[in-house]
Amino acid sequence: MGTMLSLQKVTKIYPGAGHIKAVDELSFDLEEGEICTLVGPSGCGKTTAMKMINRLISITSGKIIIDGKDISRLNTIELRRSIGYVIQNIGLFPNMTIGENIAIIPKLLKWDRAKIDEKVQRLLEIVNLDPDEYKDRYPKELSGGQQQRIGVARGMAGDPPIMLMDEPFGAIDPINREHLQNEFLKIQEKVKKTIVFVTHDIDEAIKMGDKICLLRDGHLVQFASPEEMLTHPKNDFVADFAGGDRTLKRLNLFTVKRAMKDNPPIINQDETIETARNLFSEINTRYLIAVNSEGRLTGMIDKQDIPGKALLVKDAVAPTNAWLTSQSSLKDGLSEIFSHDYGFLIVVDDAKKVLGWLHTEDIKETLKG
Amino acid sequence: MILRILFQLVKRLAPIFLTIFFIVWLYTYYGAWDYTIKNLSEFFRLILEHFILVIISMFCAVIVGVTLGTIMTRKSMEKASSVIMAVVNVWQSVPSLGVLALAYGFLPFIGLSGIGMVPALIALFFHAVAPIVRNTYAGIESVSKDVIEAATGMGMTKKQILFQIELPNAMPVIAGGIRTSTAIIVGTAPLAFLIGGGGLGFWIFTGIALVDMGIMMAGAVPVALIAMLFDYCLGVFEKFLVSRGVRTDEIELA
Repeated sequence: MGTMLSLQKVTKIYPGAGHIKAVDELSFDLEEGEICTLVGPSGCGKTTAMKMINRLISITSGKIIIDGKDISRLNTIELRRSIGYVIQNIGLFPNMTIGENIAIIPKLLKWDRAKIDEKVQRLLEIVNLDPDEYKDRYPKELSGGQQQRIGVARGMAGDPPIMLMDEPFGAIDPINREHLQNEFLKIQEKVKKTIVFVTHDIDEAIKMGDKICLLRDGHLVQFASPEEMLTHPKNDFVADFAGGDRTLKRLNLFTVKRAMKDNPPIINQDETIETARNLFSEINTRYLIAVNSEGRLTGMIDKQDIPGKALLVKDAVAPTNAWLTSQSSLKDGLSEIFSHDYGFLIVVDDAKKVLGWLHTEDIKETLKG
Repeated sequence: MILRILFQLVKRLAPIFLTIFFIVWLYTYYGAWDYTIKNLSEFFRLILEHFILVIISMFCAVIVGVTLGTIMTRKSMEKASSVIMAVVNVWQSVPSLGVLALAYGFLPFIGLSGIGMVPALIALFFHAVAPIVRNTYAGIESVSKDVIEAATGMGMTKKQILFQIELPNAMPVIAGGIRTSTAIIVGTAPLAFLIGGGGLGFWIFTGIALVDMGIMMAGAVPVALIAMLFDYCLGVFEKFLVSRGVRTDEIELA
């Protein structure tokens, strides 16, 4: 894992208009496989900064190094073909089918036919669109969300190590956007591209970025991981931009697993009620989590609500939905805790095996760091 | 079900057949058929001349029009293109007969004869080129800037963008311009006779001069049929040329 992309004092001055520096000595390094979100208020130079990487905008001074090579020494066309490019308004070519759109870069790179077909097939599968159904359709026959997925697939088609994404989900309604973001993060886990991602939405920047690069008037204000930026905003501007609820935003950065305690009050549902009663007084609790012999969650028993004629734990168990999988975000965890009366949440794995429990105190501890 | 399909078919085909029937009826009624049979060799010569007039002027207009329209959209041509556009717009408002008369009057100044097929071709060409230039320019200009930006950012060369993106996406508009031009040329071609350009206009005008409906119809009916033929061929051509992804609606073949 070396440095993939390095900006060194990159500056852009547009001629005329009082020589305002659109981007002023911007420097940062990006490791291979990282997503860096460029974020800031409009006019902060984030798009300009991104477009200098594939030389859609020329650099006034400074250097951009990709994989050890200074891009000003490379052929512009070849440079661009080695960088995936996805824009907000998608820009699919209306005259070409979906398959042809995705195949455009591989064709320019003169791959052979079979390899291109295979690539198109695989990319459509990756973005969750059935290749046989969509390959021969035209862009106008697809919904906005589907088009944007094709846009992403097209950007990845030439196997570029680096991708530039200019507000790729900006024009999509909130529900679909969240869905696409999650899908994209899943894709990224598989493909591990180095990505520069422009957005004006701090929440998106936090969610998508391994690193956030916050710009203001062309200056770099803070370059840090989302966690770092939310915990230690460099100045008032960062704090303001991150929002007064930035502590709550951090909840999104942690999984339930990280905050939970792994000593939940568990009882096998085949035990007798007597055992349960002893356990209640022993650990001084009102609720016990009932599991079956494989350790999977079956429900909860309430000390104050045990039927008189119950002999086994099984008879007293009430089903519950106060549980989440360990990969859920702390935000969902907190929300789930508040929507039940137990005061805690059961954490399970994908097979519903109980792993631990989560209290609001645990969340507080985690946020303190 | 069958009745409905039949009804649809009749609805579609009836106007075409009625028109053709009407034309053929006019043709035979005034004795144009007999006149044509009697002057068969002249008929073929006129048809040939007519086709030459239409096809050559059309061909040149398409080549020059599309090329000029395309050049005008290039960045370095921004200033020149507004001037050319203004000229084209004014030029298009000159009526067909006026264009022929202008050719007749102007060509001698540059050392060419104002009479014959060449002046007719030149006049037809100049008259037909305007809509093609205009539509090519407008069509390419209307290609979404996002599409161009995506193509540029992905590493397509200017040439690749022009031939793979801009022209194909502008094609419905360009094709529209070509259709307009064809209509203009086909409609103007009979007038070519007036400056000695030949073609079926010869019989039409002879018929009018002699007040002989037979001779006139012998010229007019083929002219009408040729116009239909060209329109039909263009429709077919358009289907091949315009990608399904940018077609606005299915083109009716009539």
